Amino acid sequence: MKKKKKTTRKDFYMEIRKSLGRFLSILFIVALGVAFFSGIRASEPDMRLSGDSYFDDSSLMDIKAISTYGVTDGDISAMEETEGVAAAEGAYSTDVLYNTSDEQQVLHLMSLQEEMNQVKVSKGRLPKEAGECMADDEAGFQIGDKITMESGTEDPLSDTLVTDTLEVVGLGNSPCYLSYGRGSSAVGDGSISAFLAVPEETFNMEFYTEVYLQVEGAKELLAFTDEYDDLVEEVAERAEETAEVRADARRQEIVDEANEELEEARQELEDGKKESEEQLADAKREIKEAKKKLKDARKQLKDGREQLEDAKETLNKKQAELNTARSEYESGLRKLNEGKAEYEKGKKELKEQKRKAELGSKEGQMEEYRSRLDEGWAGYDQLVQQIDAMEESSMGPEEPGYVQWAATLQGLKAQAKETKSTLNSQEKEYKKNKKSLDAAKKKFEDAEEKLAKSKAELDSAEAELKKAPDQLKSGQEQLDKGRQELADKEKELKDGETRLEENEEKLADARKEYKEGKAEAETEIADAEAEIADAEREIAEIERPKWYVYDRSNLIEYSGFGENAERLGAIGRVFPVLFFLVAALISLTSMTRMVEEQRTSIGTMKALGYGKFAIASKYMGYAFLATVGGSIIGVLAGEKILPYIIVYAYGILYRHLPAILVPYQWKYAVMASGAAVFCTMLATFLACYKELGAQPAVLMRPPSPRNGKRVFLERIGFIWRHLNFTWKSTIRNLMRYKKRFFMTIFGIGGCMALMLVGFGLKDSCYEIAELQYAEIQFYDGSIYLEEDITEEERAELAEALDSEENITQYMDINMQSVTLVNGKKERAAYECVFGSVDEIPDFVDFHDRRTKEQYELSDEGVIVSEKTAKLLEAEEGDTVEIKDEENGNKKIVIEHICENYMGHYIYFTPAYYEKSYGAAPEYNSIFFSVDDACSSKQMEETGQNILKLNGALSVSYTHDIEKQLDDMLRSLNLVIIVLIISAGMLAFVVLYNLNTVNIAERKRELATLKVLGFYNGEVAQYVYRENILLTLLGSVVGVVLGKFLHLFIIETVEVDSAMFGRNINPPSFLYSLVLTVAFSLLINGVMYFKLKRINMVESLKSIE
Amino acid sequence: METFVSLKDVKKIYKMGEVEIVAAAGIDFEIQKGEFAVVVGPSGAGKTTVLNILGGMDTATEGSVLVDGNDIAHYSQKQLTAYRRDDIGFVFQFYNLIPNLTALENVELALQICKDPMDAKEVMEEVGLGERLDNFPAQLSGGEQQRVSIARALAKNPKLLLCDEPTGALDYNTGKAILKLLQDTCRNKGMTVVLITHNSAIAPMADRVIRIKNGRVSDIVENPEPVSVETIEW
Repeated sequence: MKKKKKTTRKDFYMEIRKSLGRFLSILFIVALGVAFFSGIRASEPDMRLSGDSYFDDSSLMDIKAISTYGVTDGDISAMEETEGVAAAEGAYSTDVLYNTSDEQQVLHLMSLQEEMNQVKVSKGRLPKEAGECMADDEAGFQIGDKITMESGTEDPLSDTLVTDTLEVVGLGNSPCYLSYGRGSSAVGDGSISAFLAVPEETFNMEFYTEVYLQVEGAKELLAFTDEYDDLVEEVAERAEETAEVRADARRQEIVDEANEELEEARQELEDGKKESEEQLADAKREIKEAKKKLKDARKQLKDGREQLEDAKETLNKKQAELNTARSEYESGLRKLNEGKAEYEKGKKELKEQKRKAELGSKEGQMEEYRSRLDEGWAGYDQLVQQIDAMEESSMGPEEPGYVQWAATLQGLKAQAKETKSTLNSQEKEYKKNKKSLDAAKKKFEDAEEKLAKSKAELDSAEAELKKAPDQLKSGQEQLDKGRQELADKEKELKDGETRLEENEEKLADARKEYKEGKAEAETEIADAEAEIADAEREIAEIERPKWYVYDRSNLIEYSGFGENAERLGAIGRVFPVLFFLVAALISLTSMTRMVEEQRTSIGTMKALGYGKFAIASKYMGYAFLATVGGSIIGVLAGEKILPYIIVYAYGILYRHLPAILVPYQWKYAVMASGAAVFCTMLATFLACYKELGAQPAVLMRPPSPRNGKRVFLERIGFIWRHLNFTWKSTIRNLMRYKKRFFMTIFGIGGCMALMLVGFGLKDSCYEIAELQYAEIQFYDGSIYLEEDITEEERAELAEALDSEENITQYMDINMQSVTLVNGKKERAAYECVFGSVDEIPDFVDFHDRRTKEQYELSDEGVIVSEKTAKLLEAEEGDTVEIKDEENGNKKIVIEHICENYMGHYIYFTPAYYEKSYGAAPEYNSIFFSVDDACSSKQMEETGQNILKLNGALSVSYTHDIEKQLDDMLRSLNLVIIVLIISAGMLAFVVLYNLNTVNIAERKRELATLKVLGFYNGEVAQYVYRENILLTLLGSVVGVVLGKFLHLFIIETVEVDSAMFGRNINPPSFLYSLVLTVAFSLLINGVMYFKLKRINMVESLKSIE
Repeated sequence: METFVSLKDVKKIYKMGEVEIVAAAGIDFEIQKGEFAVVVGPSGAGKTTVLNILGGMDTATEGSVLVDGNDIAHYSQKQLTAYRRDDIGFVFQFYNLIPNLTALENVELALQICKDPMDAKEVMEEVGLGERLDNFPAQLSGGEQQRVSIARALAKNPKLLLCDEPTGALDYNTGKAILKLLQDTCRNKGMTVVLITHNSAIAPMADRVIRIKNGRVSDIVENPEPVSVETIEW
């Protein structure tokens, strides 16, 4: 037993050694198949893994939430407390403009975060303070560059930033930007050129602009997988709930604040009201007073007038009196003159009398007498005085001279006595004369007095009379003055009256004013009240801040990455299967051939008494070993190399992926290996089974030769007759070995199909940009308008568009994202209503993809893009609905379905829109076309000009989208190349294998030909002819197969948002064909040496 | 009679690593033009080596092989092919017909490469298969297949007809009939025929019998009066 096992084992190993070529070829093809299958399939998770590790390393956020009112600290802590949120971090960001020498760029500023979205510095350092920044290393900034920013909005830059100049201190990248795309913006030309990372201090805002969340447990999960998406979605939903709560809270805050303000305003109004009431009351009082004053004034005036009248009367009386006085005066004057004359007469008489009395001389005598007397008296006084002086200088008697002195004194005293007595007697006489003179004098004096008295009387009368004219005059003057005064008074009165009138007028005015003022105050109050009411309503209407909660798919290119991985997965699900299938078929052929070759050996073993299992185990073991070996090699190599190449290829697009992770994906390894083992084992078993069932004797004999058969072509005599024998043989050969025939055709066809799919994928993907923007949507860009655009702004915009030279045509469009519903199917699409139906053909071309039939948009229904209709499972003539949760769904009829590749569209005429919605469309964007000669730069300049206008929100250019698309597809290109090369390799292996089998099977025949004297070349031709024919036939099959496969793969690979082209371009057919033929020729070249080595001695051997 | 085939000290040594296997250790013989020669010997004696060398399918390690005055021992592969093509007709033990060509086509296959071919149908009629021209080999009996094989060889109008055990796979009577055909061909057409067999019983029908043993010619017998095949029993 042991011995037997040993020999069978030896036989087994010998068999392998002997047929190493076959063993290796099975091993290799299995390795190739498994490598390709598991490799491509592993690429999807590997790509995700590579992305995920990058995201994890840089702590990329899972959820981003923004609020229309900004994010407060309260919001952040609320978010952080939300279940499932591991961390929350606020951040700032804003878009600014930056003018380079030749263009204006939009830069996206974002704050450096401590926890999440870690940027990576590739050169320089991180910015440390406001005024420094780390610039996007894709944008061509250099360290040391100074960036002077401008605000892109109407608000000054200082509202958002503390500085307007940033110095680049480092270059780097952010996990938020996986690829070249930087997203769009509402400022500048609308597309962001680069990002700048700056410290938080750079921002000058009250609130954060966004909050980033990390989900608990999300880091452990693989990004782009359903598990991750589900977890994040769940938490995002909760975050949305939190956001709702926060929105309410925030609204309340704002409402409270507003209410406070309102209260203040109300208070102010109250105050104002009071004040105005007071003022009015004052005014009223003043008016009242003024009225009273006026009344008084009027009375006064009346009194004045009365007085005036009185005064006038008095004046008149006085005048009369004066007149009497004047006449009195005149009579008085006459009397005076009479009196005067009498007086003059009296005076004269007196004078006569006086002269007669000589009074005057008497008086002179008297006076003379008197003076003598006085002289006498004066001498006497002198004596007295001498006496006195002697007495005074009295000398004592002892003194000498005394006796003389005393004598003189005695003499003097005696003289004095005598003088005195004479004088006294003279005095008496004088007195007596004097008395008689005085009496005479008195008599005259009395007469004189009497005269003087009459004179005085006359004088006083005269004086009085003399005074009378003055009096009269002054009376007259007084009268005149009185009259003057009266006149003045009258004037005054008149003035007063005028004034009164004026005042009355004024009063009336004041009253009017008061009324007006009152009215005004009332209106003002009413207004203010209305305002307050408005404010109240406004407060009531204060909208809750809108929160937007995004997951990572909002990141630019993030979804693209995931979609690329998905697309890769889709390719991996289909493409390698075919590859694998071909590989399995080849190993099946090889094993079948082997079992057939070993027929005699099997017979012998059977004859020797070995059991079926023992015999079969050799072949099963052979196949098993080859397959398992191949699988191991395939898995080990394929799962490392292919994903690496593919992810590396994507690395061109996603430049910042720091590491390409290609761990073994055992799932796919087991899947591929298992399938390979199963296929080859089954094939081997089936091949053995047939032979094992036969009797040993039968097996020992050569198999009865297969009959030559006439082929169909022979019936067509005129063709057949013109063929030479080698051709005839070739054709019959092809027909005879049907299994090989189909195997080869399938192999070559499969390879051709794979290559065709590879090239076709490229065509389809590349074509869509071209097809979409050259054959379907011709317009060069669209302008999105502000939501609250006014009619003037619209007109201004239209004017600007008219005046832009580059713009040849434009049309108002209503673009709205809607959800279409058909039964249970739902699909988001852009609803596009054209402003001018006549001009539609200049902007969009509606046609059927297959028949190219042109459609026109009518008022009877809509045109829907093809993919949209397909996803909705709707057809022409169907009625679908536009979702409207508030007002109920709108029913619309699909009139046509048009070719479309990018996005989903549903096109309306304004009339049909109105019919469907019951309201006219509001045009929120403008499509425009530019001159063909206009360069993209000129176009962008034009766009910027338009963006400067108030009504324009943003501008997007078709060529931007095209470029973006191209970028996206460039990565696919590399995958396609991998596919093509792999398909080529497969083609090579398949052809090699089939040829080897073919030659091995026909060794004897070929040896015979050699013996017959065929040159090597002729022998080769004999074989080649078959191969060439098979290659050509295979190619034809490949074309058909490829076309279907291509369609299938395209439909699998394409993302929902786009439809790939369904076409394969002629050059692709050519390339595939040329490559297939080239491989075929190469194989034939290799085969030539194999043919040459065929030993003619083979022909002498018996048939096995 | 002239010497048509002449082998002189032909040696064939196969080197299998260290070991040298001597298949022909110095073979000398001559065959005259128009002779029916039989090379006979036991298995492994070197008959096939002789046939291979003579048929231009193999080259001699040493010695000279003159066929119609040309030393093919030093021919290149290409010359050998031309030699096989123009000078040799080969009849195989297992007929070696192309299975998916009809009998006639099998003959024509050989004719299309040769300079001065005979008419295929005539040859077929000559070998007695005028009725079965359009049959595929699988539809023919072994004898018939061998006739086709002979016809294919003859049609080329070769200088030398080499037959490797032509009756080895045939039953007795059919074998005899084939041998008769070959003998007749030799006689009627003056074709030089070399027949290789292990069956020494058929030696009497040959003009010359060359016996080979252990890689050498052990005996050459010229038979001035060869008998007809019909008279031979074995």
